[in-house]
Amino acid sequence: MKKWLLTLLSILVVFSFVLSACSPSEAPEAPAAAEEAEEAPEAEEAAAAEEAEEAEEAEAEKVEEAEEATGGIAEVAREDTLVLGWSIASPIGVTNPWAVPGYTHQEGNTFLWEPLYWFGIFADEEIPWLAESMEYTKEDFTELTIKMNPMAKWSDGVPVTAADVVFTFEGQMNDEKLPYHGQFDQFVESVEAADELTVVVAFKQPAPRFKFEVLMLKFDTGIPIVPAHVLGELDSWNDFPGDLDMPHSGPYTIVSWDNNQKILDLREDWWAVEAGLIDTPDVKRIVMFNLGGQIGQNMDVVAQRIVNNEMDSALDMRSDLIKSILAQNSDITTHAGDNPPYGYLDWWPNSLWVNTQLPPYDDVRVRQAMNRCVDRDTINEIVYEGAEIADVYPFPLYPGLQAFVDSPEVQALIEQYEPRKFDPDEAAALMTDAGFVLNGDGMWERDGETVSAVINGFEGIHSDIVPVLVEMFINCGFDGSVNFGDNAFQNMVDGEAGMYMWGHGASLKDPYAAFELYHGRYSADLGTTAGTNRWSRYSNPEYDAILDEMAPLASDDPRFHELAAQAMEIYWRDVIDIPVIQWLHRIAYNQTYWVNWPTVDNLAAGSNGAFWAHTGQLVVTNLQSTK
Amino acid sequence: MSIRKVIERLLFLVVVIWTASTITFFIPRISKRNPIRERFGQLARTGGFSPDELEIIIESYSQKFGLDKPLWEQYADYIGGIARLDLGVSLYQYPKTVLELIQEAIPWTLGLLVVSTILSFIIGNSLGAVAAWPRAPRWLRSIATPFILFMGVPPVLLAVFLLFFVAFRLKALPLGGAYSIGVIPDQSLEFYLDVLRHQLLPALALIFGTVGGWVLSMRGMGVTIQGEDYVLFAEHKGLSGFTIFRDYYLRNALLPQVTGFALALGNMVTSGIVIEQLFGLPGIGTVLYNAIKANDYLVIYGVVLFITIAIATLMVMVELLYPLIDPRIRE
Amino acid sequence: MATVTISQQEFQQPSRVMLFFRYLRRNPGLFIGFFILIGLILFTVIGVLTIDSSDAYPLSVKPKQPPSLEYPFGTDFYGRDLLAAMVVGMWQTALIGVLAGAIGTLIGVTLGFISAYFGGRLDSIIKGTCQILLPIPVFLIQVVIAGSLDKRDVTIYTMALIVVLLAWMWPTIVIRSQVLSMKERQFVSVAKLSGMGDFEIIFAEIMPNLLPFIAASFVWSVFSAVFASFYLAVVGLGPLREPLLGNTIWAAQSQGAFFNGWWWWPLLPAIAMVLILTSLALINMGLDELANPRVRRTE
Repeated sequence: MKKWLLTLLSILVVFSFVLSACSPSEAPEAPAAAEEAEEAPEAEEAAAAEEAEEAEEAEAEKVEEAEEATGGIAEVAREDTLVLGWSIASPIGVTNPWAVPGYTHQEGNTFLWEPLYWFGIFADEEIPWLAESMEYTKEDFTELTIKMNPMAKWSDGVPVTAADVVFTFEGQMNDEKLPYHGQFDQFVESVEAADELTVVVAFKQPAPRFKFEVLMLKFDTGIPIVPAHVLGELDSWNDFPGDLDMPHSGPYTIVSWDNNQKILDLREDWWAVEAGLIDTPDVKRIVMFNLGGQIGQNMDVVAQRIVNNEMDSALDMRSDLIKSILAQNSDITTHAGDNPPYGYLDWWPNSLWVNTQLPPYDDVRVRQAMNRCVDRDTINEIVYEGAEIADVYPFPLYPGLQAFVDSPEVQALIEQYEPRKFDPDEAAALMTDAGFVLNGDGMWERDGETVSAVINGFEGIHSDIVPVLVEMFINCGFDGSVNFGDNAFQNMVDGEAGMYMWGHGASLKDPYAAFELYHGRYSADLGTTAGTNRWSRYSNPEYDAILDEMAPLASDDPRFHELAAQAMEIYWRDVIDIPVIQWLHRIAYNQTYWVNWPTVDNLAAGSNGAFWAHTGQLVVTNLQSTK
Repeated sequence: MSIRKVIERLLFLVVVIWTASTITFFIPRISKRNPIRERFGQLARTGGFSPDELEIIIESYSQKFGLDKPLWEQYADYIGGIARLDLGVSLYQYPKTVLELIQEAIPWTLGLLVVSTILSFIIGNSLGAVAAWPRAPRWLRSIATPFILFMGVPPVLLAVFLLFFVAFRLKALPLGGAYSIGVIPDQSLEFYLDVLRHQLLPALALIFGTVGGWVLSMRGMGVTIQGEDYVLFAEHKGLSGFTIFRDYYLRNALLPQVTGFALALGNMVTSGIVIEQLFGLPGIGTVLYNAIKANDYLVIYGVVLFITIAIATLMVMVELLYPLIDPRIRE
Repeated sequence: MATVTISQQEFQQPSRVMLFFRYLRRNPGLFIGFFILIGLILFTVIGVLTIDSSDAYPLSVKPKQPPSLEYPFGTDFYGRDLLAAMVVGMWQTALIGVLAGAIGTLIGVTLGFISAYFGGRLDSIIKGTCQILLPIPVFLIQVVIAGSLDKRDVTIYTMALIVVLLAWMWPTIVIRSQVLSMKERQFVSVAKLSGMGDFEIIFAEIMPNLLPFIAASFVWSVFSAVFASFYLAVVGLGPLREPLLGNTIWAAQSQGAFFNGWWWWPLLPAIAMVLILTSLALINMGLDELANPRVRRTE
């Protein structure tokens, strides 16, 4: 009995030591080790150190084995490699743009896929790509004709043709799991290939913005063209991950992808070079280094790695951090060079949203009062060192939108509604009017309930401004607190009490897309899920009528401008959300190995510098080596 | 020690696993959060889903993952799955299974957390034993003191300071990551050394942050045992100091410490979650941290369960091994 | 045994306080620990009495100022006066620690006593529960619970409760084993034979001998609670607006304070945190020595 037991125990011991990754040969000595250990503590420590090393190696070996399976990968010199820092969270091996859930273009997949057209925001330029041309062929925007580039080829040599475009569009029309299904369903009547290289799209109603909003890739919107000869063969394209070898049209191919990094190598036979659209890119390899965690965490370590030239770029930074980076390494620059605000205007101005259907936020006076509590000058001073970042618009002031804002109609509205005014006294008057009284803690209260001003936001990107906003609300009598928890986003989706710090990501040229976010058809009822950027759940037939009239009008139509000003008035009058700041992308560009980053003085391909956006491909392929 | 005792312990193990799985199953439900919704909510950030479409998609996937079933049924499925060692799939990293995620991460965690725990155990107990041994030279006993002081330094705090001063300012060691950027893992010595270099700082933070606890408890244990009659007896018998130290004192003092080892591994996991994350190491802590942030239920269940099983198994194993080290318990 | 010590003191005359200080000299760990702790308490108490605690919150003072005569500890990114933030933060950290430590120890002592003294089925249930819960990583459960609360409900007090929720098992086990060993000692048997009741034995005989263990266990619980609240803060689950030490340190870290050259922001609260934890560890160590009087002989 005892012998049997001993045998069992020693097996357990062996197991336990294998578990702790020691070499098995040491295991039989284990039971004695406890007794002998202390005879010579120092020696034991030394042995343990060795043990540790072995363990590390053993562990490395395991990782290694997994790696080896993918086959040998050529060495590429650091000077030919672009190192980008990003938090990669999508499942390994998902490269198929139609894989649901799991696909994102932001984590390097944008280097695989291409659109009909790009749009370069800072050059204000439409860049034909897979298509040679794409024009509305009827006056009233009800038909669009696309001519494909005859040189375009997938990575397996099959040409990209009209059939691929038809497949892509019809997929969006018929598959409600694809993100642009809604837009296709609303506008597109039919898609037809007139010949090998020509596609004609017929619309159900005038669609003057469809070409720009849906068919061009820019920022995070638009659709890429997918290969019909690959996805068309499948029973369910949503379940197909794509893996590393899915035929694609873009310049890079993923050669390695693990939890630490994603490595993409240049495809020497990229069609766009042959077609004369671009020179052979200098960047031979892209390493997307996984920063881990949530987006925006541990950014000071990222900053340190950029300063040490380990990384060439990474996601955008808070204001002080980028300033310190620039001060510590003169080879690093930003979109604005070494000057404040160290970045470019992104399309994502942030508001504080509330659920306008939920009491007490359903009372317009409460929203107006909250808006009067935001001291935008103090925000500029404290958070942005005096840079003019705080603002009152739900769209970025790119040229077209700046022109709209500068028009006399909108200026008159600003005079009338003073959306920027900070005035706690007026806030107090509004709250009293709405039936609130100040309680013992100095908080507005009605029926025993204070007004929740818990701000749901995201630590990585909002940790500088949200605590400041919370304090402003508390000083003004609103029950403020910070929620950077992992449920912050869900609270917005569910329309929970509290405020949501979130951007718009809609308008680029005219204000229609931003205003459309508040259209009643997107206003989910209480207790249901709100669509992204539709957190306000605002519903007002008067407003909807304005938007419906705007939809088929081109943006240079005078009537369009008139209607837009009306919508702007309602936005400020009803405080649909509380606009707080313009969003800046302060992205570090390290010029030790790579130059020709898109900046204010050097537009490069004309796109914004975010390598994670759809136009990231333009940024990377236009970089020039310093060799 | 009888076979009955062994069975009893194994039963205990099963109860621990069952309790842990029940707790981990029910607690995330308190939050009323729906991981499928969150997953698609996040996807929708970059697309133009309308609310109705989103609801349809969420429903179809809830069905797929069995989240629309009544709670007790999900619970039964879940417990049944565990019995078959099937921990389900990750909602966030679908179609990856939880077991695959753990498998990928475990080598890194073993390499860092287990090795650090072992090193910390050995260093701490040696120092603690010596510190409590009145016959040891004074200088040797005083070595322990600074380590006790390190007890007040949370490993995470230490890690932050080490990262900034050692890695960034002195450029002495890497600023995190599992291995150098762009390096493709292979069999070469160079690669192993690279990995090792990347593990040094986090290991240092973990070891320094935890070694004080061992010093302190071992010292306390040693102090208690010196008072025991058998130690006094050995002293009077005239045995040499070293023999007493090893056979009478250390052996007895070390026993309870060994039990503590398994629990220490649990504490190490706590620090490990944040440290792995801070250093960007792809271990179990990072998997868990991401899962908590994304509310990826099944991964949280799976990892917590895995850690619990590992710790509980270690504990039971130590208990079963006790008679080998301590003859008194053999009867 | 207890009576003997008292009569000795009467002989020697010096007051209990004197004896206490004399003992402290022989037990340097306890001495240093107490010394640091008293310093921290003084800092906090004087601070609470003299400082405007509203300066501990954002938008109170000019932000990002290095230590100066006006702001001895500097100011942070959000415009908190860090001196005020430290005072309030120490107070709150202490509150969480002491509250959680006291509740944990109270539960531990009660359960430990019941379990060990009465034995039987009750003992197996209590002991079994503790043993089953012990291997489950407490922190993970705390994270899940803390994450599911409404942010307005996350206060210093709820934080203490979350921390204590799964922190009573260890004190229970420690006290149980001490009571068990004491139960077997002669003086308890003598008391039993002389007809003393259970409660009398517990409170008159066992408790006094157990006090150092209880104290050590309390200090240990406070230590763990401070530690746990620090980790919760690091993961962003504490009451974020409050200037808890953990919050301040982590806010500094996430704003890249070292990198941006605002060294004073994380450094001072980090030192305070380390001092608190170290003093508690030292006191715990000293109490251990106190609990084993036989060891004192060897000093």
